[in-house]
Amino acid sequence: MSFKTFAAISVGSFELTMKIFEFSGKNTMREIDCLSQRLDLGSETYATGKMSREKIDELCRTLLDYKEVMKTYKVDAFRAYGTSALRETKNTLIVLDQIAQRTGIEIKILSNSEQRFLDYKSVASKGESFRRIIEEKTAIVDVSNGSIQLSLFDNDALMSTQNLRLGVLRLQEMLTHLNAGRDQMEALVDELANAQLATYKKLYLKDREIQNIIIMDDYISPWAIRRAGNDPDKSTIGLEDFDSLMTLLRSSGSMAAAKALGVAEEKVPLVLISAVLTRRIAKVMGAKKVWAPGVTLCDGMAYEYAEEIKMFRGEHDFERDIIACAGGISKRYMGSRKRAETLEYLAITIFDSMKKIHGMGKRERLYLQIAALLHDCGKYVSLVDVGETSYDIIMATEIIGLSHAEREIVASVVRYNHSDFTYYGYNESRGSDFAGKESYLTIAKLTAILRLANSLDRSHKQKLRGLKAQLLEGELRLMIDTQEDITLEKGFFDTSSEFFQEVYSVVPVLKTNKKF
Amino acid sequence: MAEKSNVVMKDAKYFENRELSWILFDHRILGEARDRSNPLFERLKFLSITASNLDEFFMVRVASIKDMVNAGYTKKDIAGMTPKTQLAAIGRATHELVDLQYSTWGRSLNPQLLKDGLHIIAHHEDLDKEEEAFVDHYFQENVYPVLTPMAVDSSRPFPLIRNKTLNIGAMVRKKKKGSELEFVTVQVPSVLNRVVELPIKEGEIKRVILLEEIIERNISKLFLNYTIVCAHPFRIMRNADLTIEEDEAEDLLKEIEKQIKKRQWGECIRLEVEQGMDKDLLAFLKKELSIADAYVYEIDGPLDLTVLMKLYGLDGFEDFKAPKHEPKPVPELPAGCNIFEQIRKGDVLMQHPYQSFEPVVDFIRQAAVDPKVLAIKQTLYRVSGNSPIIAALAQAAENGKQVTVLVELKARFDEENNIVWARKLEKAGCHVIYGLLGLKTHSKITLVVRREENGIQRYVHLGTGNYNDATAKLYTDVGLLTCSETVGEDATAVFNMLSGYSEPLFWNKLSLAPLWLKDRFLFLIEREKKYALEGRKARIIAKMNSLCDPDVIVALYEASAAGVKIDLIVRGICCLRVGIPGVSENITVRSIVGNFLEHARIFYFENDEHPEVYCSSADWMPRNLERRVEILFPIDQPQLKEELRHVLDVQLADTVKACILKPDGTYEKVDGRGKKAVLAQDVFCKEAAKKAKVAKTAGESRTFKPKMAPTN
Repeated sequence: MSFKTFAAISVGSFELTMKIFEFSGKNTMREIDCLSQRLDLGSETYATGKMSREKIDELCRTLLDYKEVMKTYKVDAFRAYGTSALRETKNTLIVLDQIAQRTGIEIKILSNSEQRFLDYKSVASKGESFRRIIEEKTAIVDVSNGSIQLSLFDNDALMSTQNLRLGVLRLQEMLTHLNAGRDQMEALVDELANAQLATYKKLYLKDREIQNIIIMDDYISPWAIRRAGNDPDKSTIGLEDFDSLMTLLRSSGSMAAAKALGVAEEKVPLVLISAVLTRRIAKVMGAKKVWAPGVTLCDGMAYEYAEEIKMFRGEHDFERDIIACAGGISKRYMGSRKRAETLEYLAITIFDSMKKIHGMGKRERLYLQIAALLHDCGKYVSLVDVGETSYDIIMATEIIGLSHAEREIVASVVRYNHSDFTYYGYNESRGSDFAGKESYLTIAKLTAILRLANSLDRSHKQKLRGLKAQLLEGELRLMIDTQEDITLEKGFFDTSSEFFQEVYSVVPVLKTNKKF
Repeated sequence: MAEKSNVVMKDAKYFENRELSWILFDHRILGEARDRSNPLFERLKFLSITASNLDEFFMVRVASIKDMVNAGYTKKDIAGMTPKTQLAAIGRATHELVDLQYSTWGRSLNPQLLKDGLHIIAHHEDLDKEEEAFVDHYFQENVYPVLTPMAVDSSRPFPLIRNKTLNIGAMVRKKKKGSELEFVTVQVPSVLNRVVELPIKEGEIKRVILLEEIIERNISKLFLNYTIVCAHPFRIMRNADLTIEEDEAEDLLKEIEKQIKKRQWGECIRLEVEQGMDKDLLAFLKKELSIADAYVYEIDGPLDLTVLMKLYGLDGFEDFKAPKHEPKPVPELPAGCNIFEQIRKGDVLMQHPYQSFEPVVDFIRQAAVDPKVLAIKQTLYRVSGNSPIIAALAQAAENGKQVTVLVELKARFDEENNIVWARKLEKAGCHVIYGLLGLKTHSKITLVVRREENGIQRYVHLGTGNYNDATAKLYTDVGLLTCSETVGEDATAVFNMLSGYSEPLFWNKLSLAPLWLKDRFLFLIEREKKYALEGRKARIIAKMNSLCDPDVIVALYEASAAGVKIDLIVRGICCLRVGIPGVSENITVRSIVGNFLEHARIFYFENDEHPEVYCSSADWMPRNLERRVEILFPIDQPQLKEELRHVLDVQLADTVKACILKPDGTYEKVDGRGKKAVLAQDVFCKEAAKKAKVAKTAGESRTFKPKMAPTN
């Protein structure tokens, strides 16, 4: 039987972790090693924005060690991802280049939404336990060092996701600045959290009652799992358990607490912060049960890699989540759901028929879907500048699972659906190669399709029902079933087909199949 | 029975002082030397062991208590004794011990040797003419060139007498009238054999003489212009242990370090002199070494009885020695088998030295050349010189395996030896970790990572004894070979931690000191207590080398008070007291001292009829539980559990070598009257032989024996 081994390195804000995984044909993913080294990059970069040479040295040293360990398992591939501490380093690119030169390991920086998506995948890698819990109204609370992410689930699908700058290490940094004693810490954290959570509740939670919380963190999870007899499937914490945890943290010295909790001593204050945060969130949401599956970013990375090499197929449909999330955003800005769905249908039909010509894949199809769903969100702000305001809204809204660059593609496609396309051509000073050339072409191609689809439903009355698209002799033949007058559509079709022809050198032809 | 509170259980009167308990242990070994049922030369060996033990005890334990006294430290130990009172009590007890050592020698062993054919010439004056000529010649040829005689006068200060060496001190006078007495000394060279065999004469028994007598006889040749007034051997023991014993309170360390710096060399803590030594000479030595009477031992016999080990090594006398023990093959791992395949069939439990240590060496040897093996990781504490394990590890690295070795440099008295082979490993390309800061790595664990068809597979060896093929023939230890997934994960985590990485989220099977081991033991003991209180089945049987952790002892007292029957097999120090009403009535303690050194740590907990059996590298001592890296591993397979339970049961049934601890703190041999004689170590030898034989016959049926061509 064939199997593959993979090393996932996460350069976190407080720890540098590497997990080694083994995937075998039976759709099984096995963690075979886990190394974790305390490396506090966060405190420094959150405060100064830069990474000191000592930290870089330490990071490189450990990465080189990790490379040795990889040899122990002859790993087939590895990936290294960096999170908020690296993200918030001003000289990131320089630092990353140095690290790559010295260790041969290129660290990719994850945007928050990518990181959270992977975290989310890691929870989903728990399979059955995850599926069962999200049948009820559930929130995933992803507590990391820089920020926390709150994602809401309803009926098996992701509803919304928001990032709050309430990271554990960041809060500790803040408290250090405030010179807070240990006694005050609890109250201060609660106060800080409550202020932001109140706004969150008002805007996103409204009257929703959340039954379960899934927590991801490095601090109270180990305690929860140990309490459950080392069975991560059973590591649920009730609200009353939080009280006993707080009592323990309050009453015992940090050494005794560390021992009782099974964490390193320097983590004890972070456990306290994480516990206060989680308890506050559970209270705000009205949840009764908190599940700590003890998964980490590395698990998500393994899931992602295994999917890519087709050694693993999860049960959960993540694309559906991304789309559901986009739908949620559209709803917030009062977009018409029907209109969006029609547009999505039209755009995707065109996209699918053009595969041979545009050469784009699954991922781009997803961008198009999201762009269709969000095509008019800017109307919430202005009916005139829809393109620009939509662009701004999308750029300012996190869409879980999309990187920053991907989000920009989606936002641009929506923008050019309404506004004039901005061309990039040959430029003396720049030449024809420029950063983002790939994205630029993707934007152009997707814009052409979206514009065409948009023109087909110009009246917003969803006049066109069945659409058949066929590529024949340099023409894209679009056959539509409709009984209605489509003069308006036809008119706009001609205008938007110009851009389409420009991008694809294919002439779109609209034919109606009137049934009498 | 009213339960006593934890506070009451901690009362000093319920504990024995560990040093005094140690001396009782040496007494038990001495008991073996005095036991006429042992072969004569084995008795010599036991006596020799009591002497080398006592030397180590002085250098390490007495030295550090003396440091405490010098530093004015007055904190009491668990038995409520201050360092000062301990030192006084130790002084009395060691004098008694030494007296008994020499009366055993003088009254029993030496006369018996003479009867059985070995004459040790105690004084050179007893040599006959021929022999005198022989030894004088021997002196001239072999001894004289390596001697360094030293004199003390106004221009030459008292010389540095080296720790543990044997010396001859003499008072001399210049051959001029009216000259003053002077002191001279010469070290008996340790490079020469201390036992010198004299030429054998027809029809007479073998005669030997000790080297110091030969030197004494010829001492005038060293100091030509002097008259020798008197000459006597002496030996000193210094507080040489500059690395402070880890068991002591850390707050003391700084103070003691200062004290040591003040001294030019280690303070003299014991002076052994020949009985009847010249008064002036003794007075001079005492003054120069600044040693009080209490630390002077007048010896009636040869100084430094470790010389008896040399006598044991003399050719002949095989009838007076125990037959040489041959470890038996492990049936599950026959020679030439693929060890990994065999382990996959099931966990393999090995009992050394009844069973051979060879499979453990083979495990690493095979791993070194197996193309599927990716990595080998091992902790090494004390390794034999020229160890085949080291060679295999080096070979593995040369074959491109990832080899990580943790070498414990802090293993007492072994430091230099360890550095040499650690460098050798590094040269071969192994990743060598030189111990951990502030912790001694005492655990014995090996991990082999293999890339097999179905994925990564880990093989683990866990043991109670060191990876030392030489001592594995003398120490009784238990080892387990397994490819259990959960143990493999834990083993990986152990090595990650030893490399400086964080603890895993949780442990599956192993418990590690100094992190969780003590808690684990306390939990296991308390669980028995709980069951006993609930009227369910509860029992503890534990075998170890030493028991002196106060928390564990209190937990045992509480369990005993709750009705748990506790049987302890403790070879050495035991600070627990038995038979205290309401505290330890349900506890028995026995100690087994036999031909093999009892070394395995095995723990049995009844757990309400779901017995759990564990083995460990750790004793129930604070230093093991708090200041060392140790591993406790469970034995899970029912059949292997049974085997270990059997080991414990046989030891509990021993009527020959077992001594029972009495409520008054003394030990007494088991009363064997009316019982069948059971000698546990013998039983295990026979069982191992039987097992190996069964396996062999079973194997025979599967092979053919071709007939050879007839030879004429």
